[in-house]
Amino acid sequence: MKPIFKLAAAAVAAAVTAGAVSAESIYVPNLSYRTGPFASTGIPLMNGQKDYFTMLNARDGGIGGVEIEFAECETGYSTEKGVECYEKTKGEAVVTQPWSTGITLQVLPKTNVDKIPVLAPGYGFSPMADGKVFQWAFNAPASYWDGASMILKYLSGGDANALKGKKIAFLHLDHPYGKEPIPFLQQEAAKMGFELLLIPVGLKEMQNQSAQWLQIRRERPDNVIMWGWGAMNAGAITEAVKTKYPMENFIGVWWAGHSADLAIVGERGTGYKSISWSKPVADAAVWADIQEHVVAPGLTVSSEEERKGVFYSRGLVMSVILAEGIAAAQKEFGTGKINAEQMRWGLENVNLSDARLAELGMTGMVPPFATSCSDHTGHSGAWMLEWNGSEFVQASDHITPDRDAILPLETAKAAEYAAANAPWPVNEACGN
Amino acid sequence: MFFRTVGQFKTSYRKDQALFPVRQDAVLLWVILLFAWVVFPFTASEFTFQTLLIPILIYSLAAIGLNILTGYAGQLSLGTAAFMGVGAYACYKMITLMPWMNPIVAILLSGVFSAGIGVAFGIPSLRIKGFYLAIATLAAQFFLVWLFEKWAWLYNYNASGAIQVPNLKSMGVYVAGPQASSIVQYYVVLGVVTFLTIVVINLTRGNLGRTWKATRDMDIAADLIGVNLMKSKLTAFAVSSFIVGVAGALFVFMWRGAAEPNLFDIPLSFRILFIAIIGGLGSILGNYLGAILIVGLPVVLNTVPEALGLPISSATVEHLNIMIVGSLIVFFLIIEPHGLNQLWRLIREKLITWPFPH
Repeated sequence: MKPIFKLAAAAVAAAVTAGAVSAESIYVPNLSYRTGPFASTGIPLMNGQKDYFTMLNARDGGIGGVEIEFAECETGYSTEKGVECYEKTKGEAVVTQPWSTGITLQVLPKTNVDKIPVLAPGYGFSPMADGKVFQWAFNAPASYWDGASMILKYLSGGDANALKGKKIAFLHLDHPYGKEPIPFLQQEAAKMGFELLLIPVGLKEMQNQSAQWLQIRRERPDNVIMWGWGAMNAGAITEAVKTKYPMENFIGVWWAGHSADLAIVGERGTGYKSISWSKPVADAAVWADIQEHVVAPGLTVSSEEERKGVFYSRGLVMSVILAEGIAAAQKEFGTGKINAEQMRWGLENVNLSDARLAELGMTGMVPPFATSCSDHTGHSGAWMLEWNGSEFVQASDHITPDRDAILPLETAKAAEYAAANAPWPVNEACGN
Repeated sequence: MFFRTVGQFKTSYRKDQALFPVRQDAVLLWVILLFAWVVFPFTASEFTFQTLLIPILIYSLAAIGLNILTGYAGQLSLGTAAFMGVGAYACYKMITLMPWMNPIVAILLSGVFSAGIGVAFGIPSLRIKGFYLAIATLAAQFFLVWLFEKWAWLYNYNASGAIQVPNLKSMGVYVAGPQASSIVQYYVVLGVVTFLTIVVINLTRGNLGRTWKATRDMDIAADLIGVNLMKSKLTAFAVSSFIVGVAGALFVFMWRGAAEPNLFDIPLSFRILFIAIIGGLGSILGNYLGAILIVGLPVVLNTVPEALGLPISSATVEHLNIMIVGSLIVFFLIIEPHGLNQLWRLIREKLITWPFPH
């Protein structure tokens, strides 16, 4: 904490000597979606993100003594609004949090021109992990390919031959987000010898998946892996219960692990699993600070119930990653009010070690990880969470992705992207 | 007073047939063109270009295309977005298959593809009319969006299923892709839109436009006086789809930069239909007014609370915005069911006789 205090003192001194400097703050916009079709899943995440910065501002006066101006710009998950928000905020912003895959796709090619880092924690384009090619994009702590790899590892129990001859259905949103893990799953299916059954769910069919589940009932896959979001998750889970698919063979990505979606089916959803790089820890020390600085003064719009869920604590973790990036940049550059370029350096040097997590009072809420110049993801690994009828509980030890299988694909796809978007500057200064 | 037409004598047929026979109209047009071509580009910020100027122009063009079909030829269409998609994907394929091609040429050529598809889906209009035809165009909407999703060749087998605009140069300047500057893209869009608008105004005034209007007003009577209905309807589909296709290519290449298939789904069709209806069916000016109301106004409204320093959360602003724009649409349709174009026409009539209405 000492350097931070020094920084704070320096910042105060600077402010005093400079005389009439307007209130210094770091502008951190978030392209939120509290309206529209995905609002129910968006709100707890947005609240978690916002509340963490509210807490930091109230407790420590921001980061390094500089207040964080965490502003939301509402997109309603619409790409068009997202671009509007990006244009509106990019002047002052040190970072962009695009949220939807569509908006990420839109913003990603502009990053080399606008030079503003994109932070997409746990979503976006998986090859963004290649920091050499995607200098300005970050998807810490885990990419979708990591997620797919971890699910397969969990299913096979680490034995490469365990899945041979099995049939695995991949139920996904027919949208860039849902299609993201397909190249990796296909590669693994060929290698591990299981049959991959692709079952897309169109955006219009999210709430009525009877056709897809009829197919699942007919094909009888050993496992169903789901890449769903918003209304699709609740639709799939209720449909699975209706068709009596064994819930313990049903695994979702981290976005398909929303407590409220499972609460609809309650007991009958017991056994459903979701791979997750974050989990709620009820006795974590951070809750006391949130209670004292955010909930008690009435600065949050979240409910008691919501704060217990998986998504709210994931929102907290996302803000922790960003806050650590800001702190790292402040320390490196010796300035309080960092700019976008310095923010980029900060996000490349996030080090959430066990010790640091304990210091933050967040032990167990996210696996420890560190980013670097060439690795913009950190590949934290994850836990398998299981619905026990009333809440998600941890059901496995810490699982790590099979990086050896992912890396070649990542490098190839990143190079492909760079070629398609030439001229695309690559950060040669990065070692491996 | 400002609009007095007294003393403006037409001494030749040519003058009488001019696009804007009243001098004030012509002056007004020149003022607008001066703003669009000179004043805006040099005063606008990046935000204004990307959220107001470029999208309003592109949406106006798409609405003009729809207006030819629905407003002038009377054939209701709910497939506008799908035809925009055809234009966008055609342009994408041309650019990626033939990288040497000038992007502006590719954009204009992509209209040809959507015109072809439009004519194919227009064939049912020879047999069915009104709501039944709307259902047939709805089929185009569903089918084409499904095709954009399933035909991987269209998006070059990209894993995400989306198309991404590469950096494209025309005459040494980046005109599309992330490297292109907003002002260049604005001029390209403005040039294409201006050119096509002039073409359309002339088309609708001429022989073709008259046969369209005759078909719209009463097709049996039109048939009886010798209008070839098949030709009239199919040319309407062709011209309309051409313009809509160009608008679609501009939409993706000059503005969005990337597109996934569901971008071209029904909500976009409805949005363009609303622009055409609120602007006024059977008008050209109305499309611009409608686009300003539906595309531009929400963006402007979004910035109001912040500019006034009101502490309203972004989500609330969004809700308020939807309510305000919605009630404005209702308001305008109540005071003038024929759209904003008619409203302007009435104001103009009043201005011509003002201050002595009798």
